[in-house]
Amino acid sequence: MAIIRTEGLSKVFRTGFTMKKVEAVKGVDLKVDAGEIYGFIGPNGAGKTSTIKMLTGLILPTAGEAWIQDIPVSDPKCRAHLGFLPEGTFFHEYLTGREFLDFHGQLLGIDKATRQKRAGELLERVGIPHAGDMRIRSYSKGMRQRVGLAQALIADPEVVILDEPMSGLDPLGRKDVRDLILSLRDEGKTVFFSSHILGDAEVICDQVAIIVNGNIVHQGYIDDLLGQEVSGVELVLEGIDAPLFEELKVGATRAITQGPRFLLEFEDEASAQRVLERTLEAKGHVRSLVPRRRSLEDLFVEEAKKGNYA
Amino acid sequence: MRALRNIKAVAMNTYREAVREKLLYTLLMFAGLMIASSIVLVKIHLGYDERIYYDVGLAAIALFGSLIAIFVGINLVYREINSKTIYTMLAKPMRRWEFLIGKYLGLVGLLALEIVLMSALFLAVVWFQKGTFPAELLYAIVLIFVELVLLTAIAIFFSSFTTPYLAGMFTVSLWIIGHLLADIREFGNLPDSEAIRPLTEALYWGLPNLDRLDIKGLAADGIPITLKDLWMNIAYGLSYASLLLFSATQLFRVRDFR
Repeated sequence: MAIIRTEGLSKVFRTGFTMKKVEAVKGVDLKVDAGEIYGFIGPNGAGKTSTIKMLTGLILPTAGEAWIQDIPVSDPKCRAHLGFLPEGTFFHEYLTGREFLDFHGQLLGIDKATRQKRAGELLERVGIPHAGDMRIRSYSKGMRQRVGLAQALIADPEVVILDEPMSGLDPLGRKDVRDLILSLRDEGKTVFFSSHILGDAEVICDQVAIIVNGNIVHQGYIDDLLGQEVSGVELVLEGIDAPLFEELKVGATRAITQGPRFLLEFEDEASAQRVLERTLEAKGHVRSLVPRRRSLEDLFVEEAKKGNYA
Repeated sequence: MRALRNIKAVAMNTYREAVREKLLYTLLMFAGLMIASSIVLVKIHLGYDERIYYDVGLAAIALFGSLIAIFVGINLVYREINSKTIYTMLAKPMRRWEFLIGKYLGLVGLLALEIVLMSALFLAVVWFQKGTFPAELLYAIVLIFVELVLLTAIAIFFSSFTTPYLAGMFTVSLWIIGHLLADIREFGNLPDSEAIRPLTEALYWGLPNLDRLDIKGLAADGIPITLKDLWMNIAYGLSYASLLLFSATQLFRVRDFR
């Protein structure tokens, strides 16, 4: 069952004194199934935030339609079971973390006792239980992102939309957000998140859509998009001499010496197999052998070469 | 039910924001000082003691209330949009008009509190000096509050589609013109002003007539005001405010928050 669905969703903005037309989103069709983590990826300015704002009722589509849980997004009822974290951390600075969560709980019609209970649990869950009574004004960027996530989860929503949730976070913060998204899927929730960080999306998403210049250029399950084929093999060797390294690096796409270690990269498995055998014959050591699959980044670069990403 | 719940939540949050602002206390302090200064003014002025108490007190309540209504009002919606705090609110099951009305009522609640505090001080000063106060003073205060309700609606109306700077200019202009409409009409009725009479009549009937809500002079002079007149003027102010709020919600309904 599609939890989030769009058909021909388009947005044209008019900018400047001459009201010049800018097509931010061009006929986007999306289908996000229940219980999935769906990555909406693309470069800055590709149309990710505009699409998300149409889904959350912040901007009105120029054409096309969108539904959340089969309710049109023009109907506020579709947001009763929706959690949303916008890009950036723009929250009411004069409120404490607990007051902020309580206020958003009120807008969702949650009773006072449940709001208080949920606020405490969520502050704990996002890792800032100590900051509940501090004004948001005094929060660091990471803490703001965390209280924003808590806000998105205050009503225990079935659908969670996160716009660039990992942007600007340190590695620990990014890992925490990734873990949180994975735990939401474990609870049966549907998570739709945008990112321009391809690695994050590849690690946690079931499905992705790549949007470039307002168009969806790829959409589907990660394995279907990237395939299972090995696109290259990386070897790290030790205990071989320089002449042998010179012999082995013939045909390598990359050959680097790092002190006692030698790094070689080949596009085909046969070359890697040959190097492996020669190294073992020469009593050398293979420190690592990593087959490289096609990544989202590779896919993205291919689109760039096709001219889809101006 | 859901609409009322949302309006209440937004209004309470707006009220909370405003009471945590230093500007409010500064204005209240100045208003208090101005009302208290009437005691000193009476000592250095010969005659018309009551008139000085009434003039200074009512003027302070109206002036500082208007400053809060205009300058908090024009920023009320803009600040939520500019700081992007509106995003998380409108992504809830809430209609845009509920948000706008909530913001409006939050500020009106604050103005009511401000009026009560300043009026209590003003009436206490009059009571301690004269031992009584006429009912007309209360009527004048009620109409000052209605004027503030209308001014806030004007500020919200302009801020629903333009910047605080322009909204401020438009609101202050209407505030001034709204108090001069009777004079403008009279000017149009002069024998030499026939050419501009349609314009002055259009301004008189079209713009909010704040003079109707200004009975400070009558109250200070002790001229009786009938309850019928009072209710008619209250109805006028509230109807105009409702019309402006309705227009603001229609403009806000189709706005994109980019």
